Amino acid sequence: MLEISGLCAGYGKLPVLRDVSFSVSAGEIVLIAGENGAGKTTLLQTIGGLIRPTAGNIRFEGKDVAGTIPEKLVPAGLRLVLDGHRVFPELSVFDNIRLGAVASNTPKATFDGAVEQIFSVFPILKEKSRDKARSLSGGQQQMLALAQAFVSQPKVLLCDEPSLGLAIALMPPIMEFLRTWAKTGTAIVIVEQHVDLALTVADRALLMERGSIVFNGTADEFRTGGDKNA
Amino acid sequence: MWQEYAIILVRGIGLGSVYALMAMSFNIVKVSSGILNFAQGNMLVLGGMIAYAATAYFGALSPVIWFLVMIASALIIGVVVTIQGYLTLLPLSHSEDQQSWLITTMAVSIIIGAVLLLAQGPNALMVRSIFPNIPLFGMRVPAPFLLAIGLAIFWYFALQLFMSKTLVGLAISALWQDPVAARAAGLKVRRLQLLAFGISGLVVGSTGFVAAPIITLASDSAVAYVLNGFVAVVIGGVASNTGALIAGPLVGVVAMLATFKIGGEFQGLFSMLMLVAILLIRPQGIFGDTAARRV
Amino acid sequence: MTTRTSTSAAYTAEPNPTFKLRHLLDRSSVVQLAIGIAAMVVATIVPHIFGISYWIGIVNLAIIYIVASVFMSLLLVDAGQVSFGHGAVFGAAAYAVGIACGMHGLPFPVGVLCGIVAALFIGILFALPALRVQWFYLGFVTLSAAMVFPQMLFAFNEYTKGISGISIPLAWMSEDLPIGISTLSLLVLILGIAALITSAVFPKTTLGRRMRVAAASPEAAQSLGISPGKMRFLAFIIASFGTGLAGVLYPPTVGFVSPNAFHLDMSILFFFAVIVGGKGQPLGTMAGITLLYLVPNVFLAQLVEYRALVYGIVAFVVMLLMPSGVVGGIVRWINLRQKPQTMPALQFSQIVDNVKPVERVKDENAIELVDVRKTFGSVVAINNVTLNVRRGEIHGLVGANGSGKTSLLNVLNGFTRIDGGTARINGKEITGLNARQVAKLGVGRTFQTPRIFEQLGAWDNVQIGLDAKLSDNPTLVSPAFVGNLRDMLSRLRTESIPHGQRRLLEVIRVILTDADILLLDEPAAGLSPDERIAFAALLRDLRDKLGLTIVFVEHDLDLVARVADRVTVLESGSVVASGDVASVWNDPKVKPLFVTVRHA
Repeated sequence: MLEISGLCAGYGKLPVLRDVSFSVSAGEIVLIAGENGAGKTTLLQTIGGLIRPTAGNIRFEGKDVAGTIPEKLVPAGLRLVLDGHRVFPELSVFDNIRLGAVASNTPKATFDGAVEQIFSVFPILKEKSRDKARSLSGGQQQMLALAQAFVSQPKVLLCDEPSLGLAIALMPPIMEFLRTWAKTGTAIVIVEQHVDLALTVADRALLMERGSIVFNGTADEFRTGGDKNA
Repeated sequence: MWQEYAIILVRGIGLGSVYALMAMSFNIVKVSSGILNFAQGNMLVLGGMIAYAATAYFGALSPVIWFLVMIASALIIGVVVTIQGYLTLLPLSHSEDQQSWLITTMAVSIIIGAVLLLAQGPNALMVRSIFPNIPLFGMRVPAPFLLAIGLAIFWYFALQLFMSKTLVGLAISALWQDPVAARAAGLKVRRLQLLAFGISGLVVGSTGFVAAPIITLASDSAVAYVLNGFVAVVIGGVASNTGALIAGPLVGVVAMLATFKIGGEFQGLFSMLMLVAILLIRPQGIFGDTAARRV
Repeated sequence: MTTRTSTSAAYTAEPNPTFKLRHLLDRSSVVQLAIGIAAMVVATIVPHIFGISYWIGIVNLAIIYIVASVFMSLLLVDAGQVSFGHGAVFGAAAYAVGIACGMHGLPFPVGVLCGIVAALFIGILFALPALRVQWFYLGFVTLSAAMVFPQMLFAFNEYTKGISGISIPLAWMSEDLPIGISTLSLLVLILGIAALITSAVFPKTTLGRRMRVAAASPEAAQSLGISPGKMRFLAFIIASFGTGLAGVLYPPTVGFVSPNAFHLDMSILFFFAVIVGGKGQPLGTMAGITLLYLVPNVFLAQLVEYRALVYGIVAFVVMLLMPSGVVGGIVRWINLRQKPQTMPALQFSQIVDNVKPVERVKDENAIELVDVRKTFGSVVAINNVTLNVRRGEIHGLVGANGSGKTSLLNVLNGFTRIDGGTARINGKEITGLNARQVAKLGVGRTFQTPRIFEQLGAWDNVQIGLDAKLSDNPTLVSPAFVGNLRDMLSRLRTESIPHGQRRLLEVIRVILTDADILLLDEPAAGLSPDERIAFAALLRDLRDKLGLTIVFVEHDLDLVARVADRVTVLESGSVVASGDVASVWNDPKVKPLFVTVRHA
């Protein structure tokens, strides 16, 4: 579904990503771990089209999409969810969800079905669907950000640190949602600091250090490897 | 005595409706791109010039022609502002310096002012209203004051409907709340911003045309409309059209009062004092939200 | 309360005894300054040789406008204040001269005095709203003032002669001196050269650096003990003083003042000159005035009515093609052609080389927090945190992103006022203090995104630490290190400092302030394993040799284990565990929170 090879990117003259390669297949959840400053967010934003790569390929369904802007990627089915539960604060919850479908031209029936599903998983969003998004708690905003991506029914979802700024207790339902989402055949790449949390749903895991991938294996391998490293 | 105040009130609200329309026009560009289009004042004047040109060309307009030319005026200015918006946004996409719009929009304003000066000299143009004065509270009010009020109400509802009910309008209002999130969501940011410029052009184009008999159509009159429009934006609260609809007439009435009671040269001073007062007392404006910060 | 007074130990020699021009001005500034001064001198002398009075007048006026724009630039670029009303300051000075000399027949020096007072008065009027509002709100307030200014000249016509204007009987100033140019031209030239030098040197003065820091990041400024409000106010005072000097030379140059000369257009011209010429470039305002004023006036001398059009088009086209202005664009182009600069690695071990260890009182608490609580709306950022940090201790704060670590640092350096509990630093209650006052207690901090400013030179970014030095004692760290660092950074452009090194420069900056408590927010992010080892050694040196107390937020648990004396673990704003490293690591409450990645 998604194949990254030799990807390099940076800000100005400062390289942040150095020769990153990995792939994700449909229905798979891949965790990208690594500490702050390792380049995880830059990697996701480069795949998601917000940052232009300086070298390398991003193959999405076999086609090279490196350097393609998000307004073309999203309709094609590749969607990035930013970290920090970012929503449009002055719009209502439902309007936020509706905006998720604008770029992808989701048919009405599909959209309604998706909204139905979202509301059954996160009933709080249904309850507050007319409130402004800024009145939501951080955890609810993260649900909303995911809901907005969900209604566009992407084939690849890139999810940047969903737990940022949230209490850990809030995370299991969100992770569970990602797991069921992946079962529908969506490839999910997730950056997460709470590695244990993400490993409960991830199939595979990568470790980044200073812009490069230093470990790439199954979740189990990562778990044992991680302990050995500790 | 009370009649004098009634005149001030009606004319103030009428002129203030022009400020309200300027403010709404500012708002739509502001929410989509964070830009405050200084050239908008001269776009208003251009709209008025179209009314002047139409009268010069067709003679006295029949109401039907008047209406059609108004639509045409809105469309022409809409296209002009869209082109201006395109040029304004151009350097913003490849430079880390995000303030070039301050210069480019002012420069466009200066260019239009200079062209107007070349074309018709320093004197203001007069446009006669085709509609008769309308009797109100025992006095006769020139129709354009009331038409301006009507236009402000029309655009207010049209914009509210568009911005809150249509997906495109929603998308426009979302853009500057979080530009990166808007891009990540796949919104066609540049195109939506251009549309916002275009709509702002429709608003000022129609306003300039309708209000032509009651605004000053000169090469250097634009800045006063920009300023009073901005005062209305600040008093009403940035991005709030409801605020603009109320604050515009307020500014207009105060300006009229200053003109009638103290003298026309103090009008600008009063606008400034209102601006300073609101910024010191309630910087977010009447309808602005303290929480309306970007993440 | 403080142990700082007893720390005068370290050094007697000031760092860097040798002065080098390179330390003050970079090559580009020196070249620009030379070109600018030469051009001004030539432009002033040549018309006098040929005796063309039209040209003499045009050049004088252009230089006067350059001076006004230089001070506009100080306001806009150095202090970050958007003012569209600079023409009113200029006009007030000119009109004061007009009224004093033209209407009341007072001598010119008295007029100058009146002019400067008038300019300062308007400047202070502008400064007051600037304390409250910023950016284009301030721009609009000043813009409306610029619009109102000529209207007021009309309105009070009994004092200003209104529309008819005032002619100025100062013809003696335009008569040639024995040296071949007139008194007026000489004054204008001297002022012009002084202004150019000011524009190049001011950013390199302590005040200039402070203004730039305050404009770039008010919170970083406060953490260095700088008051952003005071900086803004000073900027307006200095700018109006300089603009006033330019304004008082306007009446003798033109021979006449009238309200129409001081329209909004003049304010816009000064603003445009700064941006179109190139923000922050010494030659920028000169290029701007040349392009926007001189060129239209000279080449369109016969076509007066096209001047505004050309002026608008030039400004528009320049901004489309060169968003960083004419001179800025050229400098960028030259920089791009040079090979990228690389920064040599910093040798931390040198920081404390040959330093005589500082003795500080042990066994007291440098930081004491009791039941500290902070909520933002419904979000509890800090939930009843009780925490002590002993003097001379390295204390690690760990926890996931968003667990309240940075919020806690913000409390410790006075950025956020707490809602409940007590916080004492160096024995002093800080609940009612702001960040500047806390900084003066000896607290220095770094930020998660390093506050290294591209508006400042590479060395200036470190120098602002020395500027903020809390005592007059010689610096605690090795002067040789400071000297080497200065030499190295003076050659570098700020943009070419790699991210990881920026954090370290920020740490060095804070050490140079003499703070005895350092709050470091993720100081090691972006460092390589080797650099981490060196950094860990640095932290230990700072503790052992300089006796500093260090609180640091860090994700690299190995680094924390390597250097921290004690650790506090936070989750959702609460302390989960606190104590020495071994006991915290084995705490059953902590384990599940930290299956995060360890370094190989």
